[in-house]
Amino acid sequence: MRNPLKALGVVALVAALAACSSGGGAGASGSPSAGQPATITYGLWDNIQAPVMQKLADAFHVTHPNITVSVQVTPYSDYFTKLKAAATGGQAPDVFWLNGPNFQLYASNGMLAPEQINASNYPDALVKLYQYQGKQYGIPKDFDTIGLWYNKTLFDAAGLKYPTADWKWADEQAAAQKLTNPAKGVFGLGAPPSGQENFYSTVFQAGGSIISADGKKSGYDDPNTIRGLKFWTDLIQAHYSPSMQQMTDTDVVRMFESGTLAMLYGGSWHASEFANNANTRNTVDVTELPAGDKKATVIHGLANVVFARSAHLDAANQFTEYLGSKEAADIEASTGSVIPAFNGTQQAWVNAFPQYKLQSFLDELPDAVSFPVSKNTSVWNTMESDILTKAWSGSESVDQAATDLATQMNAALAKEGQ
Amino acid sequence: MSRPSSPGGERWYRRLGSPGVHGVLVAAALVLAGPFLWEFLTSFKSLTEIGQIPPTLLPTRWQASNYDALFRALPFATMFENSVINAVARTGAQLVLCSMAAYGFARIDFPGRNAVFGVFLSVLLVPSQLLIIPQYQIMQDLHLLNTLPALFLPGMFSAFGTFLLRQFFLGLPKELEEAARLDGANPLRIYWNIMLPLARPGLMALGILTFLWSWNDLLWPLIVTTDTRKMPLSVGLASLQGQYTTNYPVLMAGALIATLPVIVAFIIMQKQVVEGIAFTGLKG
Amino acid sequence: MLHLRQAPSTEPTSRRRRRRRAKLKNTLWALLFIGPTAAGLAVFYIWPAAQTLYFSFTRWGAFGGHTWNGLDNYVQLAHDPDVRSAFMNTIWFTLLGLLSLPISLMLAAILNQRGRKGVSVYRTLMFLPFVTMPAAVALIWRWLYSGDYGLINYLLRHVGIGGAYWISDPRTALVAVAAVGIWSTVGYNMVIMMAGLKAISPHYYEAASMDGASPIRQFFSITVPLLSPTMFFLSVLSVVGSLQTFDLVYMMIGHTNPALPQTRTVVYLFYQKAFIENDRGYATALALVLLLVIIAVTAVQFRLQKRWVHYE
Repeated sequence: MRNPLKALGVVALVAALAACSSGGGAGASGSPSAGQPATITYGLWDNIQAPVMQKLADAFHVTHPNITVSVQVTPYSDYFTKLKAAATGGQAPDVFWLNGPNFQLYASNGMLAPEQINASNYPDALVKLYQYQGKQYGIPKDFDTIGLWYNKTLFDAAGLKYPTADWKWADEQAAAQKLTNPAKGVFGLGAPPSGQENFYSTVFQAGGSIISADGKKSGYDDPNTIRGLKFWTDLIQAHYSPSMQQMTDTDVVRMFESGTLAMLYGGSWHASEFANNANTRNTVDVTELPAGDKKATVIHGLANVVFARSAHLDAANQFTEYLGSKEAADIEASTGSVIPAFNGTQQAWVNAFPQYKLQSFLDELPDAVSFPVSKNTSVWNTMESDILTKAWSGSESVDQAATDLATQMNAALAKEGQ
Repeated sequence: MSRPSSPGGERWYRRLGSPGVHGVLVAAALVLAGPFLWEFLTSFKSLTEIGQIPPTLLPTRWQASNYDALFRALPFATMFENSVINAVARTGAQLVLCSMAAYGFARIDFPGRNAVFGVFLSVLLVPSQLLIIPQYQIMQDLHLLNTLPALFLPGMFSAFGTFLLRQFFLGLPKELEEAARLDGANPLRIYWNIMLPLARPGLMALGILTFLWSWNDLLWPLIVTTDTRKMPLSVGLASLQGQYTTNYPVLMAGALIATLPVIVAFIIMQKQVVEGIAFTGLKG
Repeated sequence: MLHLRQAPSTEPTSRRRRRRRAKLKNTLWALLFIGPTAAGLAVFYIWPAAQTLYFSFTRWGAFGGHTWNGLDNYVQLAHDPDVRSAFMNTIWFTLLGLLSLPISLMLAAILNQRGRKGVSVYRTLMFLPFVTMPAAVALIWRWLYSGDYGLINYLLRHVGIGGAYWISDPRTALVAVAAVGIWSTVGYNMVIMMAGLKAISPHYYEAASMDGASPIRQFFSITVPLLSPTMFFLSVLSVVGSLQTFDLVYMMIGHTNPALPQTRTVVYLFYQKAFIENDRGYATALALVLLLVIIAVTAVQFRLQKRWVHYE
């Protein structure tokens, strides 16, 4: 090595020069007073909803001609990476979508501007989901609940009556047994280790919880919670559900669409997908989730939020106010892709695909439980996947896994407080 | 050729012969090209057919509607242009800058050479995901966010290209250079008139690879652009993925069209590598 | 070479001065040739990397705030079982990834023979993995590997062997993903090797043929030594690249795959910690440990090159 100091010196000099020239952050122009033309950006992640969002932006522009909204779509898998990088430098979109798991992270770090809403216009669980320390930071945009989708053809072939809203776990398990046909490779009910779509709801139905109301303690060591989890592992052990390996190889939704799965716990968002698929268009239907000790479904929804360091706070707030209005909800409902959050506007969504009993998703609202979140939800979401997968694949008992998960989750929640 | 120089070596080679070797080539080509062929077939299938299990090989009905949907979903021409600018700028800059740096490392002896090369190499060793956020902030500070230069600026400098070409230069015999130096030529002339022509295979290889990487680069352009009209094709295609469902046939159609220019470029450049080599044998 | 090597102390002053001037000239020429790339790399790569070195000693918040916590991150790393398994998996990927080189060499050598027909066609076909969209690669390989419906098990069943759930079985998942990695690098390695092969003067082969050497003998006595700088380059790149495996595993192995602990690589764990769990200080420390490993391994490779790489 010949004289490394010199080389390092060169590099350091160049780096120093670079650092000097990069001083000064992006300057935000002062908020224009109402009446001055402004262009604000609206960040979202679903390409399928983008045309509807554009419609909303255009409709808003008609009534507020001095504000132009530019819609920016980023694919979901990269949305939050990009958003965090942008927000750190003060460059996040003026208005953007947030979901439950990420909300508290942004709110607690001062990234969001407080909002004014009329809380009676939206489901209570959603309003609470987007509050932080008593202040409202997000306006609910849409919501989804979970329903029991079933394949009518397979039920007919087995001579069974279709599921109803009065079903209980026992009815469901009996049906799953009768519908499973190993010779044809058909299973009764799919049991992937998915929180939102599967076990959150059964945990609530068994009287358990995922996280305490104050967000400080895990609910996984509650015996009721464990009962809610065992509902699924029992199905796998009895072979009424495909094995963990089979479900990893092939997604349960695809199995359902191909007619190799008779029943599926699925979100309201599947309605348009099933309606567009020639195989499921008219051969499936949906009903409310069967009850455990009680009826329950997990409810989740997106919210529109305003970036705290937006250069156009006033314009952004006007836009989110519009987005939270009945008029905007009606436009959203007309496409059938999501259920708008504004009370009383959901009928258009129910009517979008009349072949399905979509009213079931709305009938579940009184029993809906808020999606479990905390300040850094994704940390323990990862733990859920890592640990519960072991119980699902049979390499660990459910009791053991749940206890492990509770311990690790509590440690993570404690860290959040620091 | 038929004098056996090693007892076993001759015989099995002759037995393997042409059909055996051909078999290997065909099998390799099938395995390597298969997924691309599947991509092609998928782009003509319907969304329903894609979800079916067991999967089908050939489309039951060939439909071009996916290509229609593609052009309606994306500002294809603009994105194509951005991809071209991005790839050409990066490739051109790298061919010049990396070959210069490679020559410097291979043939100019200066104090601290090994140390500086070590620093260059260390750049290669850092996972790119680690640098994404700081690089984004540099672009922010330079006020270059959401501009075309943001796409290609960091990509114009490459430790990989320098390394590749340095190996090439090191493998070239020194006689020509010695001769030129004795004639009084300075390093710039030696570089331009002697080393570059000799390094044509290496330059072609680097050119193809850099062009391809730039064309397919996704994460950086995704983070650094917000305006659809500044995005290259790779980002446009990624945006076709929804949160719960993706229209795979349309996505495949997009991937195919996005890849076509690159394949054409490769076919053209590959001929240059094969036919254009004027390697003036030094030993003979 | 442009440099003269002699002990300075016994020389007359004029020669010393000339030597210093020669050194200065070389340095200036070096600055001209290497400067632009060095400057660009410094600004866009080295400076950001240096910044992250600092942050590895902090608790780095999701939005930039940070507090110094010394060696805490590194201590935690040492005790984290996930980190240990991630490194083991990464090492396996690296060893398996090297298999791509002999395969590419064989194919490149076959295609390089004079008189072989259809070379351009083969070469283009073999290059296609490189231009196939990553999402398509993941989709089709997942289908090939599918336990119930996949092509591989279908063929195996015809030969009478039972197939496994390749991607979701903890015992086979790593090898299955590594195979896709090999598949994806063969074409790219071939391109570089063919360039290297083209640079070998045909006179060597002619002379050897006239001496009666068989093609195999020629391969080992001429091709391999003269191609060794290229092979060295490719093997360094293969190792460095494999140590950073991420995209492939991320696309093929989902977070609920039972085989995730057996396939999760260091960079995958980094991505999970940094971008999903928002623990960026810890993630950065992890990435830096990986960087040290990469540097160490690469240094060893460079040291070993004297044994087997033949420069003229």
